[in-house]
Amino acid sequence: MFSILSTLLATPGKQANFWLPKQASTVAQSVDFTFDVITWICYFFFFSITALLVYFMIKYRRKGHDVVAQGPTHNTPIEVTWTILPMILVVIIFVVGMRGYLNLREAPEGSYEVQVTAERWQWIFNHPKYGVTEVGELTVPVGKPVRLLMASNDVLHSLWIPDFRVKMDVVPGRYTSLWFEATAVGDYNLNCAEYCGMDHSKMFATVHVVPEEKFEPAMVKLASEYEDMSVGQLPAYAINRLYNRCKSCHSLDGTIRIGPSFKGLWDRVKGGDVKFTSGEILLDLLGENTEYVQPENYIRTSLVDPQGHIVQGYLGSMPSFQGQLKEKQITAIIEMFKHLNEVTDEAGNITVNPDGTPRN
Amino acid sequence: MAILTTPQSTPEVTDNYLNHTKGIWSWLFTLDHKRIGMMYLICVLAAFLLGGIFAMLIRFQLLTPDGTILTQDQYNQVFTAHGAIMVFLVIIPAVPAALGNFVLPIMLGAKDVAFPKLNLFSWWLWVFGLVFFLVALAGGVDTGWTFYTPYSLDTTTGMTGIIPVLIGAFILGFSSIFTGMNFIVTIHRLRPPGMTWFKMPLFLWATYATAIIQVLATPVIGITLLLLIVERTVGIGIFDPAMGGDPVLYQHFFWFYSHPAVYIMILPAMGVVSELISVHSHRHIFGYKFIAYSSIAIAMFGFLVWGHHMFTSGQSDLMNVIFSLITFSVSIPSAVKVFNWLATLYKGSISLNAPMIYGLAFIFIFTIGGLTGLYHATLATAVHLHDSYFVVAHFHYVMMGSALIGFLGGIHHWWPKMIGKMYNENAGRISAILVFVGFNMTFFTQFMLGSKGMPRRYATYIEMPEFQIYHVISTIGATVMAVGFVLCAIYLLHSIFFGRKAPANPWGGRSLEWQCTSPPPWDNFAEQPTVGDCYDYSVLEWDPNEQGYHWRDDVKHPGE
Amino acid sequence: MSNAEQHHEDHIGHEVSIKFNVFICAILLFLTAVTVWVSRYDFSEINIAEMGIIMALFVATVKATIVGLYFMHLRWDRAFIGFIFVGSILFVVLFIALALTDTMEYQPTIIKGDTPMVTEAMDKLKH
Repeated sequence: MFSILSTLLATPGKQANFWLPKQASTVAQSVDFTFDVITWICYFFFFSITALLVYFMIKYRRKGHDVVAQGPTHNTPIEVTWTILPMILVVIIFVVGMRGYLNLREAPEGSYEVQVTAERWQWIFNHPKYGVTEVGELTVPVGKPVRLLMASNDVLHSLWIPDFRVKMDVVPGRYTSLWFEATAVGDYNLNCAEYCGMDHSKMFATVHVVPEEKFEPAMVKLASEYEDMSVGQLPAYAINRLYNRCKSCHSLDGTIRIGPSFKGLWDRVKGGDVKFTSGEILLDLLGENTEYVQPENYIRTSLVDPQGHIVQGYLGSMPSFQGQLKEKQITAIIEMFKHLNEVTDEAGNITVNPDGTPRN
Repeated sequence: MAILTTPQSTPEVTDNYLNHTKGIWSWLFTLDHKRIGMMYLICVLAAFLLGGIFAMLIRFQLLTPDGTILTQDQYNQVFTAHGAIMVFLVIIPAVPAALGNFVLPIMLGAKDVAFPKLNLFSWWLWVFGLVFFLVALAGGVDTGWTFYTPYSLDTTTGMTGIIPVLIGAFILGFSSIFTGMNFIVTIHRLRPPGMTWFKMPLFLWATYATAIIQVLATPVIGITLLLLIVERTVGIGIFDPAMGGDPVLYQHFFWFYSHPAVYIMILPAMGVVSELISVHSHRHIFGYKFIAYSSIAIAMFGFLVWGHHMFTSGQSDLMNVIFSLITFSVSIPSAVKVFNWLATLYKGSISLNAPMIYGLAFIFIFTIGGLTGLYHATLATAVHLHDSYFVVAHFHYVMMGSALIGFLGGIHHWWPKMIGKMYNENAGRISAILVFVGFNMTFFTQFMLGSKGMPRRYATYIEMPEFQIYHVISTIGATVMAVGFVLCAIYLLHSIFFGRKAPANPWGGRSLEWQCTSPPPWDNFAEQPTVGDCYDYSVLEWDPNEQGYHWRDDVKHPGE
Repeated sequence: MSNAEQHHEDHIGHEVSIKFNVFICAILLFLTAVTVWVSRYDFSEINIAEMGIIMALFVATVKATIVGLYFMHLRWDRAFIGFIFVGSILFVVLFIALALTDTMEYQPTIIKGDTPMVTEAMDKLKH
């Protein structure tokens, strides 16, 4: 009973009991309460059954081969009792669980809405109110209900924030939703909890719960982060804020994954040294009166129509980013390619912060 | 009617089913249920070894957060192979096909099952299923053993990977269906005089309930896998959202079979445990009728609860509440069985030999497995725990710690009967304890991993390094368990060649299989025996010369 | 094989002549033709749009019953066998009912609009 009480009285942000992570949302409390009710029922049955098992094992050890044991073969009152009593217990557990669950499903009126897109293998969070897109990070205010409206671009994923005790599959072709209200400022893990292919284990995001008064300024800052930047500042911005979306298929250190590595890419593109599956060479498509004219246009087109020319040796599975990137963000990406050496090191690590200051 | 009683002095090499005919073809094309059972046993254990190697790979990969043994893609293939092999090739056929085939007809005093040729065909289907699985292994499947859409529609190893494994599983389904059909008819039609339904050993009740599930549920997975193959090859658009299909519908189809399937896995093992507990405490089973009814109840209720695998899949709230409520109903018959077994131990005469240790281990482990099921039936906690290591721990507790341990217990219990030799008892006990301790170390820590937030099917957990200690303990446990299994293999193999000759009834069992020689003769019984109460051990007495039990001289056989 | 019930019947079970089976087959084919006709008939005169589906399902039920009673021999078997058959249908009903209920419940969350693949396929059909 003690731990049930401690669950209800637990400080937000702290672990309620031995089994569970920190309680960082309002629903976590009712979920943990349910967990504890079941746990104590489990302890009771487990310890009594084990105790009886061990006791009988010792007390009724075989004393001789021919000892014929004369125990009871049935006892209807007892058998009925131990059928009915567990039935009552499980109904109790069901009701407790159902109430906690309905609480989990019913988002309060006026929840702050975030649109979530899951795609292999990253989480994209769109704040329609501020026009901000975060990738791999979700910033939310503390103490306010937040509703996530989710859809997948490809296969099944599942959004799980263990510290909030919320989880819901993200299905292609359909919307699913979950809601939470964070109770403690801090950073929390967000995992993908439905196997989705190769980098399922790496489909990670962080939930940043910030104080209420800091939320709106943070959103506004993110929305216009690049708008006032000069061209020279764009590579640092792009490598930190936009490269996330390319990360799962394009490496920075030369490793070939599903797509070509970005390392040294610009040099090859500039020189037209790219072969396509159609047999054409990029060099033939650069220059006056050609399809691309300038190498920058090749990058630009690849972002919005990646299936137009597929590099030889690759499967052509790049999704289109049409409508998802503003013009200046595309410019930022192009600038990032041009100045990749300045924002990454040989091993492919990012060496600058979004504002251009060096990162240690 | 005279019964074939145990001869007091047996000649050195009697004619039995093992040596009745010689040569590999007489085995591969045998119609004898005992030989088919043995072949299943060898095959299932070999598949278990293969699946176990994959399991060890998983455990070693997870020793470090950045898992350097396998790449992401390799790990995904390894856990898929582990799951598919263990579920379809090992644990579903294990007790019914390997032990059931051997024991069931003899327990009924019959010469064979109702359809011996169908029985052989079932085994050959298993072999074909295995071949397809091996082909798929080479090609590589990485969808998980559940083959969820849309990923399974997309995954690149089409003709070499996923299609063979789906065909293999389809074929294995038929192996299971035919075995089920065979057992239902055998139990209905071939019972001896005196053996009414409520005089049957409980192992037969369990096998009967299992057979019903096999026949009713397995066709559904067959159709599901077929639909998946057709969707992949022809594109009918039933599961693929890009073509207007519904990926969650696949989950309904899949789990409509796969939930009853887990009862196919556990019910026969429970039947074995009923025999183990009763025989090795030399005491009449407590609450026979409740145990018999609970087997049927579990089989029936098991069909109503599949949605509890889909609580967070986008299934509607209405369905979630319905499935949660019904799921609790399955826990009651299971709990009743545990209480009945405990009551059988009460005032028993318990012999702590290897089969009994497995039986007691089953009770301990199944208690934990069943109780942790409550968390998954309860909606509020299920949301948090679904697709985490908590589920992994729960199903290993019931599928491995219970079903597999029941299987091992049955192997040890009927080993003298099947092989005609006794194994080294001390080695048996040590191995059982190693397996028990190793198992709990491996999987109990996984409960903690799951409830604290570690998702399943993760090759690396770089962002969650605090979980490493649990994974390390789990891997150490797995190694201890592996040692236990290796030891088990060693002494069992050793007993085949060097074991002491087994008497007909080493443990003092009363069911009919203990009334023929060990190993049984080719045709089991010269004349059909009649039966009394198969849990009444007062008619047996110990013979120190042959180290076994036989019928007391002063007690008449039933029917005399 | 020695079993408890020595039911070695000397006669085969209830025999059905080939003529009879062909007759049943003819009825089934006729009903199939009815179904095809129903699928093409425009029922808007009767003002029940679903009439086509209702009729088709009704005919299908009749056909299934005929197949079960005559081809599967249930007409001449003991009642218990019929129960088993009907019982297994119950499981089908259970599955379809629950799965369908679920699908209907989450209809509102389906993202509207045809997917590119569907649109392409429909375009091809139109030309």
